[in-house]
Amino acid sequence: MLKYIFKRVLIFIPTLIVITLVGFIISVNAPGNPVERMISTTESTGEIGSQTSNQKEQKKFWTEKLGLDLPIFYFSLTSFSRPDSLYKIIDRNEKEALDRLISKFGNWPQIQKYSTDLNHYYFSMIQFSVDSNAVTLYDKDDVTETLNQLKFEILSLRSSYELSAIEAKFSNINLLLSKYPFLKKFKNPFNAIESDFSEIKKKATPWKNYVPKIAFYGSENQYHHWLFGDGGKFSNGLIRGDFGTSYRRKEAISNIISEKIGWSLFFALLSVFLAYIVSIPVGIKAAANRGSGFDKSSSVILFLVYSIPSFWLATLLLMTFANTDVLHWFPESGVKPAIGYPDGAGFFEKIKISLPYIILPAICYTYSSFAFLSRTMRVSMIEIVNQDYIRTARAKGLSEKQVIWKHALRNSLLPVITVFATVFPAAIGGSVILETIFTIPGMGLETVEAIQNNDYPMIIAVLTISGLLTLIGYLVSDILYAIVDPRIRYS
Amino acid sequence: MAKEEINIEMFATNGSKPHADTSFKKYAWKQFKQNKIAYFSLKVLFALIFIALVAPFIATDQPWYCKYKGVKMFPAFSLYNQCRITDKSTGVTETIQYDIADWKHLEAETIIFAPISYASNKTDYDNAGYVSPFAKQVFKNKEGNEIVIPLKFRHWLGTSKRGEDVFSGLINGTRISLSIGILSMSIASILGIFLGAIAGYFGDTKLKTSRGSFWTFVFGLIIAYYYGFSVRSYVISDAFAISGLEILFQLCMSISIFSIVTYFFYWIGKFIGKIPFLDQQVFVPVDSIVSRLIEIIISMPLLILIISISAIAKEKSMVNLMIIIGLTAWTGIARLTRAEFLRISTMEYIQAAKSLGISEFRIIFKHALPNALAPALVAIAFGVASAILIESSLSFLGIGVPPSTVTWGSLLNLGREQFTAWWLLVFPGLAIFITVTVYNLLGEGLRDAFDPKLKK
Repeated sequence: MLKYIFKRVLIFIPTLIVITLVGFIISVNAPGNPVERMISTTESTGEIGSQTSNQKEQKKFWTEKLGLDLPIFYFSLTSFSRPDSLYKIIDRNEKEALDRLISKFGNWPQIQKYSTDLNHYYFSMIQFSVDSNAVTLYDKDDVTETLNQLKFEILSLRSSYELSAIEAKFSNINLLLSKYPFLKKFKNPFNAIESDFSEIKKKATPWKNYVPKIAFYGSENQYHHWLFGDGGKFSNGLIRGDFGTSYRRKEAISNIISEKIGWSLFFALLSVFLAYIVSIPVGIKAAANRGSGFDKSSSVILFLVYSIPSFWLATLLLMTFANTDVLHWFPESGVKPAIGYPDGAGFFEKIKISLPYIILPAICYTYSSFAFLSRTMRVSMIEIVNQDYIRTARAKGLSEKQVIWKHALRNSLLPVITVFATVFPAAIGGSVILETIFTIPGMGLETVEAIQNNDYPMIIAVLTISGLLTLIGYLVSDILYAIVDPRIRYS
Repeated sequence: MAKEEINIEMFATNGSKPHADTSFKKYAWKQFKQNKIAYFSLKVLFALIFIALVAPFIATDQPWYCKYKGVKMFPAFSLYNQCRITDKSTGVTETIQYDIADWKHLEAETIIFAPISYASNKTDYDNAGYVSPFAKQVFKNKEGNEIVIPLKFRHWLGTSKRGEDVFSGLINGTRISLSIGILSMSIASILGIFLGAIAGYFGDTKLKTSRGSFWTFVFGLIIAYYYGFSVRSYVISDAFAISGLEILFQLCMSISIFSIVTYFFYWIGKFIGKIPFLDQQVFVPVDSIVSRLIEIIISMPLLILIISISAIAKEKSMVNLMIIIGLTAWTGIARLTRAEFLRISTMEYIQAAKSLGISEFRIIFKHALPNALAPALVAIAFGVASAILIESSLSFLGIGVPPSTVTWGSLLNLGREQFTAWWLLVFPGLAIFITVTVYNLLGEGLRDAFDPKLKK
């Protein structure tokens, strides 16, 4: 048995790696700039990192902390035209603009020259302050506005990649530069940038884009750090339970999840348990009296129940039983009173207080798997009851009760047990909707809030953890199956 | 000559008639027709498809026919969005924009409205704030006085908080739900049937190839991915910002490039496989590869996976959602097709086809597939039901669906804010329930019809 479990666990490891890969791919492709996101959140709260007042330094700090200055994966399939070092560029838009320029012209040396010149030009422009003598000659507001406009145009030039946009910006900048004589010293460097760009167009080698190349980066990459940590510098890695920091709540995701997962697991397990203890007798009764009134009516009802979307049933239940205008039997939301449990309340007292909150969600969590399980139970029971050994059992004079409960039940349980593997993950997935409707403070509600606030690290953590829980569900069902059916273990 | 032809034809029909009667398809259809509930649900499905097809014409604020200042217009059916009308006496030209004109207050000579004279995404300010189907609904007449609404403008199923017509939302939502269900399942079926078929037919030990061809093919797949998707990544991501049609077009382009390059390497591999050392025979474990893939996808919580993927999509669109659902929902179909192919591949007629030298490709898709489709069809019917459920749960949560699109799920979500507005909770939920039930019943009916155990 142990050997069997060990074998099953071994098979799950590649699947788990793929799940982490999927989560990682999603997080890499998430829109927005995580560094700016982090800077804006820390600025508002005054947490770590804010003491580095210089914004550039802060950017560097967060880029390193989030590991964004590293290559994404162990290797990448790129083109011959792309340099190995493009990932080092911190700004996402700039990186994309350069990458798009490469994919159009395919000549990195020229593009690199253009980009570095442009960056130098931008920083010299930022450090430039107008001679006060010069300003007296002109309207002061006008001068500052022109300068701001100039800076903005150059900044946006860094993230432009379309030919027409770049040329339009060139002519704009030229126009602004010729406005005041004291801007004359910027004229020549800018002409150099323009000639850099015309050089890009002239020496274009687009064919290089069509030559594939595989670049290897070794273990210093984002995925490796995300999974195994970077030696405790910034992260301990997924493998040690470190999922990173939530953008929204600015605390460690592992803390949030350990706080929230309780209610989700509670409802998932409760619903599976309830569904099993109700559905098995119903299925057996329907199968034992096949064709009777009970069988027919229960099939129809179960079928209809199975098709009701859980979120519809949930809202209908709330509308009817938690509505001050109709019946106000249950509270509308939450799992405990808003003021919390009374001090010193014992475990059972807490359950008693929470019970009215739990009933409606429990119904919604349970009913669809209940219908599914009863139908499965009925079908498998009917198949078993028609077999020869049951006829033998009847022939030797056993009562109907003994035949069904002693001889048929064990074998007919097999399919019902295997569907544990589908029922349990469904409960976890369903939690997203039901927790939102009933405002249960679990992982599902946290997921929805994370999505509404673009909190990608949180979303990926939830995806990975629910993948893990699903795998555990499969493992449990496999082991149960092996216990009930010894043939599985030995084959 | 003519006589002979007729004779042959008669012979052919005579000869094939008894055969046609006992064919599995005919038998299954007969079985299916006997199942009254399933047959009825098929009829309901046709009705739903009909509603989905004509939805833009029966639930729209643009009238079917309008005669205004002597000019006849058919706004609801017109391809153009505007009409210029010149008043002959004054010479003033007036332009009527079909989509933003206030048709209900237009002083037209004759005007015929659609049965539901509201668009799903436009608001009726006079009846905003949850007006019940049975409550008094108002209408501002030409003089600006509030009168009781004329019967043709009544909101038969009430309105939402902003004054959107619920009935119109339901009718137009049918189109979205059905198209999501059917199109995403088409993607899933193509994937699932193809992968299931090759996995079941070849197994782990039947696809033999030379070492050289195998590695050339693997190399070709990487190169094909490079030219099909890697090089074109910006073209594809730009397409997502343009339109659904553009996305489909660019994806089809990429897939074609991928297929052509793959085929090219397959062809080269035939020659490379003849070189000594590289010509050693190896088995391709098709079944193991596909089974692992299925195992991995079913271990992911589907709803959370779809939510995560749609959360990162830059542009929220229905096409995105269809593709995501299609790419994740094929496993059930693949499993059933695989099981069926495992059974079929050992049958005599497949052996006979092989001995005649028919190509494997032709055997799989021409000879084996028609006999293996029955279980896949059942899975597709159930799959459509769950795709519709996923779409409506996502739009209920407001994730991954463009906010301007009115769907059954989004209507239900509007009702969640106000439980007294029962019409917002009951009708959209009922619509989802009916559609899902119809597909489930269809799946059930198909399963019974195809099940040989029930054969008398």
